[in-house]
Amino acid sequence: MTNLIWLKGGACSGNTMSFLNAQQPSVIELITDFGIRILYHPTVGLEIGEQVNEVLNEAVSGTVPVDVFVFEGTVIQGSQGTGNMNYFAGRVMKDWVEDLAKVANYVVAIGDCATWGGIMAVPPNPSESTGMQFHKKEKGGFLGSNFKTKSGLPVINIPGCPAHPDWMTQILVAIATGRAEEVLLDDFHRPKTFFTDFVQTGCTNANAFSEHFEGGFGKRGGCLFYEVGCRGPMTRAACNRILWNRTSSKTRANHPCLGCTEPGFPHHDLKKGSVFKTMKYLGFFPKESPEGMSNIAHYIKSKVNKTFSDQKKRNLSK
Amino acid sequence: MSLKELNISPVGRVEGDLDVKVYMENGVVTRAHTQAAMFRGFEKILQGKDPQSGLIVTPRACGICGGSHLYCASSALDVAWQTTLSPNALLLRAIGQATETIQSIPRWFYAIFATDMANKKFANKPLYQEVVKRWAAYVGTSFQTGVTASGRPVEVYALFGGQWPHSSYMVPGGVMCAPTLKDITRAHAIMNQFRNDWLEPVWLGCSIERYMQIKSWDDMMEWLNENESHFNSDLGLLLRAGIEFGLDKFGQGVGKFLAWGTYLHKDMYNKPTIEARNPAVISPSGFWDGTNYHPADHMQVAEHVKHAWYMNQEDALHPFDEPAPMASTDSRTLENSDFNSKYSWAKAPRFMGHAAETGPLARVIMNANPANAAHQIQDPLFGDIMEKMGPSVFTRVLARVHEAPRIYVMINDWLSQVRLDDEFYIKPTERDGIGWGATEAARGALAHWIKIKNGVIENYQIVAPTTWNVGPNDSEGKAGPIETALEGTEIEDPHDPVEVGMVARSFDSCLVCTVHAHDNKTGKELAKFKL
Repeated sequence: MTNLIWLKGGACSGNTMSFLNAQQPSVIELITDFGIRILYHPTVGLEIGEQVNEVLNEAVSGTVPVDVFVFEGTVIQGSQGTGNMNYFAGRVMKDWVEDLAKVANYVVAIGDCATWGGIMAVPPNPSESTGMQFHKKEKGGFLGSNFKTKSGLPVINIPGCPAHPDWMTQILVAIATGRAEEVLLDDFHRPKTFFTDFVQTGCTNANAFSEHFEGGFGKRGGCLFYEVGCRGPMTRAACNRILWNRTSSKTRANHPCLGCTEPGFPHHDLKKGSVFKTMKYLGFFPKESPEGMSNIAHYIKSKVNKTFSDQKKRNLSK
Repeated sequence: MSLKELNISPVGRVEGDLDVKVYMENGVVTRAHTQAAMFRGFEKILQGKDPQSGLIVTPRACGICGGSHLYCASSALDVAWQTTLSPNALLLRAIGQATETIQSIPRWFYAIFATDMANKKFANKPLYQEVVKRWAAYVGTSFQTGVTASGRPVEVYALFGGQWPHSSYMVPGGVMCAPTLKDITRAHAIMNQFRNDWLEPVWLGCSIERYMQIKSWDDMMEWLNENESHFNSDLGLLLRAGIEFGLDKFGQGVGKFLAWGTYLHKDMYNKPTIEARNPAVISPSGFWDGTNYHPADHMQVAEHVKHAWYMNQEDALHPFDEPAPMASTDSRTLENSDFNSKYSWAKAPRFMGHAAETGPLARVIMNANPANAAHQIQDPLFGDIMEKMGPSVFTRVLARVHEAPRIYVMINDWLSQVRLDDEFYIKPTERDGIGWGATEAARGALAHWIKIKNGVIENYQIVAPTTWNVGPNDSEGKAGPIETALEGTEIEDPHDPVEVGMVARSFDSCLVCTVHAHDNKTGKELAKFKL
């Protein structure tokens, strides 16, 4: 049995909803086949009232072991550091987080809000929100940069807005089947197994990217990097390898990648001109470029490729 | 005489945090206060940002209703930027909205609501064993089927939006996608699976066509008893157990209903304006005061803040006139709240001065409006049911599940109308201005108001269905819909106040609900329950 407690802070429940879409395994299979025992989940838990406070208190006191503590949503510290903008079960939520993080073997931050603050931490950050162990790109967050769980691992970050359900369930399976030590984390504490390749890996318009064939809304084919702000080449996530809802991904549906698995999402803090537009120098160089390449070098390379490609041969059929 | 208060903390299986304090007298709720227990400040975050920020930010206000927020956010920008929308764009937005809503029906019914019917409170009822067998959480025979099936419709959403939840594929001027033939055919196939795996065999026990012939409560009863298949379907069991368990006897509410309506008709909203919206919706809008229908004029909305933790604003302002929220620093737990003062993070929206219930029941009441136009849903069933039975937990649940067959038919119909050679997006010119966008989220009326000035958002206001339903008292001391619906509820066992949870969950409020029970005279806390 792997005991799991899932709490939500400054959340929209998007990660819970995503979790319920899980396929391999499904949430039900997690419970029936992999021995995940959900001690509490705010949406799908069955415990009520006094029982919940009992469960949480038993967990905090160590009477009942907590193998995995999953936190969804930001840690709300407002107002003025008190946390009184988010009460749960008679206490400010951040106190529950602090106590449960101490007793859990593994702490999993699910989604951008829990990992680095996400949308709620965008200035002026009215709820004084932060992530579990990062605030945007800075290490620290609510639990502090040196925090480690009983198992020795820091907070395992599964970012995304929301996180893909399989990223969540498969990490839980890894823990439940005793392979937690093989969960290798990158600098942002993301499991490398999902966050090494870029969203562009597997994008059906990758050729259009290298040949500088510009796409746009309502058009078939073409790369969304050049005009409408796609962050697929700069964003590490398995979106185009493990598809969403079994069927698609943002870029496959002609939707620019928003870069939501990278700290800092929403990027540029939603400032004027940054939403669904490629921000440019001098009106034509994209300001941001694929990792390992300067923006000018990439621009020239793609333009050269464009010259040698036959744009008319593109398959844009309905 | 026994006077008690009940604090239920939190009432779970709803989304977010909702605390409810009920005061009891002889086991009956005499008064209730609802407290939304979390502040996030999305409207404050949006101020001063890129005008399209709402497309990214507002779907993330609610993971369950993200597509609905997107429908509003894109519509509000359409109005402000005076865009042109192609028929394809309107169809694909309607399909997104509808797939999200139909997804929510089995997911909500099995994961959120029906497990309460498997509560031991009903153990002495003849149908209890059958209910437990089918609907007990995780292990019920229909639970798995229903929850798994709920993932299908959002696969269609993902074909056009890339993913669900949290896509931003609806943009001012249309949609981002330009689907191909295979997307349309796959979408039809996925919807067929939803019908064949759950909707017809498990839920209805008959064809969609047969079910949609039901026009009155008598028709419904006749359908139920027509054959074993109907009688033993999950809907058949809901009808029988719902009445047997007395779910029609509590949770009445304010008796006034608001729907903004949704699904803008592909040929009737190509030039988006506020005025053009109400006549263009297929699922009709309106306000029903218990006797008469009134137009859903957004100017009739006012938000009361006397009992909400916001500091910088006058009471009862229209959303266009409201400032970005300035949060109080004095929010408290339910136990420490003073109900004569501020006690919730939810504002109290009012329509024509009235608290109004919103949600599927409001929608199906609008469907029964005899004045509905030819392109709008015309369905007298809930006009009849409201007359014969009135609102209750049962009526609300029945309204929710009643929508599934019709939405299924509409999605397939709209898919067949998408013209692959025509436009999906017409690039608009950005400009300053004001906009309003609205829709029906699965759980009710949702609207966004935007003001754009100097190329950035000057003001963004969201009034969500849960705000309508869980809002606190207004400045005149009139209770909100859930507060009202709890009054008169009999609580059999104050240590297991499942009735309170059922009322809250019948509204499908998107907050985790905590109920606190108190003795009405002494104020002593008797029990505290997360539901």
